[in-house]
Amino acid sequence: MSRRTVAFVAVLALAVLASVRLLAQTPSFSPPKLPWGHPDIQGVWTSDEESGVPFERPAQFANKPILEGKELEDYLKRRELERARTANFGGGITGAGPVHWYEWWGRKSARTSLIVDPPDGKIPPMTAEAKAREAQMEKEWAAKVGDRGPADSWEDRELWDRCIMRNLAGVMFPGGYGNNAQIVQTPTHVAILNEMIHEVRVIPLDGRPHLSPAVRQWYGDSRARWDGNTLVVETTNFKDTTDPRMDISVRNRGSWPESFRLIEKFTRVSPDTVRYEITRDDPKTWTRPWTAMLELKKSPAEYLFEYACHEGNIGMENILSGARVEEKENPALLTRKAVRKSPNDDSAENPDR
Amino acid sequence: MRNKLHAAGCCVAVSLAVTVLTMSAALAQVGGPEYKAPRTSWGDGKPDLNGIWQAMSPANWDLEDHASYGAPSSVLAVTGTVGASPGGYGVVDGGKIPYKPEALAQRKQNFENRWTTDPELKCWAPGIPRATYLPYPFQILQSTTKILMTYEFAKSSRTIHMDKKVPAPVPQYMGQSNGRWEGDTLVVEVTDFREETWFDRAGNYHSDELRVTERFTPSSPYHMMYEATIQDPKVFTGPWKITVPLYRRVERNLQLLEFNCVPFSEDLIYGQWKRR
Repeated sequence: MSRRTVAFVAVLALAVLASVRLLAQTPSFSPPKLPWGHPDIQGVWTSDEESGVPFERPAQFANKPILEGKELEDYLKRRELERARTANFGGGITGAGPVHWYEWWGRKSARTSLIVDPPDGKIPPMTAEAKAREAQMEKEWAAKVGDRGPADSWEDRELWDRCIMRNLAGVMFPGGYGNNAQIVQTPTHVAILNEMIHEVRVIPLDGRPHLSPAVRQWYGDSRARWDGNTLVVETTNFKDTTDPRMDISVRNRGSWPESFRLIEKFTRVSPDTVRYEITRDDPKTWTRPWTAMLELKKSPAEYLFEYACHEGNIGMENILSGARVEEKENPALLTRKAVRKSPNDDSAENPDR
Repeated sequence: MRNKLHAAGCCVAVSLAVTVLTMSAALAQVGGPEYKAPRTSWGDGKPDLNGIWQAMSPANWDLEDHASYGAPSSVLAVTGTVGASPGGYGVVDGGKIPYKPEALAQRKQNFENRWTTDPELKCWAPGIPRATYLPYPFQILQSTTKILMTYEFAKSSRTIHMDKKVPAPVPQYMGQSNGRWEGDTLVVEVTDFREETWFDRAGNYHSDELRVTERFTPSSPYHMMYEATIQDPKVFTGPWKITVPLYRRVERNLQLLEFNCVPFSEDLIYGQWKRR
């Protein structure tokens, strides 16, 4: 065996080990404990490192959850180009800033999908019942939108444009910037804060019942428990709406919020890593359950920046006042049939935008 | 004559208010300095402030002594009684906020325009100390190295650094909070504010040179005293202090609910640009 072959085999073995570590279901790492015995997941964590990894695995990477070598190099290069295109597009429209402002820049995750189960990295097919529901949803959406323009009112804009929220679990997934979550623990509660858009979930650990079904909230109602070293968070009571802009999770479409139950898991798998998983187990919607996973990395930060979105939302003023000026200059706009996104348009849900 | 009587009645009311104020200040001391708060369950020896708290105070309407007052008639035409503010004894030590003369004019203007410019109407982060005495509950999550205070209003929050002094990255609506224990009192130094927040609905305000020193002192199992000393050399002639009791909410299984008020403020803020 030549020296070069030995080196190659060693590199390959390391790569395989790395993939095994990444995808391992039962980590052997024993996390530090807080004085009251709970695993310590306190601090600021970022999903930046997963930026650019597609939610579902592209066809060309079938059976390759992790890339390496030249293939990885090309993949990262393509991803950067795609990101630059997106950033330039967004920046050109809203003045959101140059490419290098975005924290997704230079991230090198070798994963080919955030979905880890099923093993093909794809969301399983929807049930016939769910497809029918989706068609109905689309019909209701079309009736509701009618011939409204894209900026007749703030209500024609997305929830993120309006600084209302980034959805659960979308808020945990990497976007252009501000992908940080802070966790604070007490013996009776866990607080999960998200920088974007200054979200706070204060989650009781005492096993109390969920809120009354009469109380529906943007971020629902969360309860949590420790299952060994894993914090399991169960959220219900999401707001009830057929508006796809209010889609309450990453790829949640087709599911009615009344029955919607999100399971999130937080496991500290190394000193600097919390593995974050969401599982959708909804036999009325998908033919099998599926799980997406992010590795959240410890940030040296002691706090989150204050993301005062609504306070400085001059973008909304400009969008609305600009539309009124356009109508004045071109009255035909007032009578045109609006072209609106259908609720099945994936771009509406793209957490990267 | 009627005016004179009215004026006299007003003075009686004020002196009555002052008496009540003195009495309530005295009452607030019940429990007092000899009260020893329960400690945290994990044995670090610190007083345990964990829980949901709320002020029951007229402070958010006006920090100073004030009679009840209504809104402009255009507002009352829509809101009726809800647009009126209850009277209340002030929470400022010494009764008056020591404004610089030139700053008083701004305060007056704020008061006149309060139905369009009060940041509370706009669902902005309320700032400190106002977040503490808004008529909404807030929760203290006291942990090993940080204390998180999270407020129901506008889902705002702040982290109080207890383990090390952490400088502010940028000026913030909620400021930057560094804390320490002085006996049973949690002392928080809040700095690095932006200038946009107000102290109350009456237009009391500050500049970006605001500094707040807060003291949370447990006084009984069910209440603690909140004192905030306010300094801002651009707006005030010297430091001044407010004192507001905070009460523990004791309802079973209580939790903060979402008050994501953005949708409640958009008509006010963007209504002028809606397509007619």
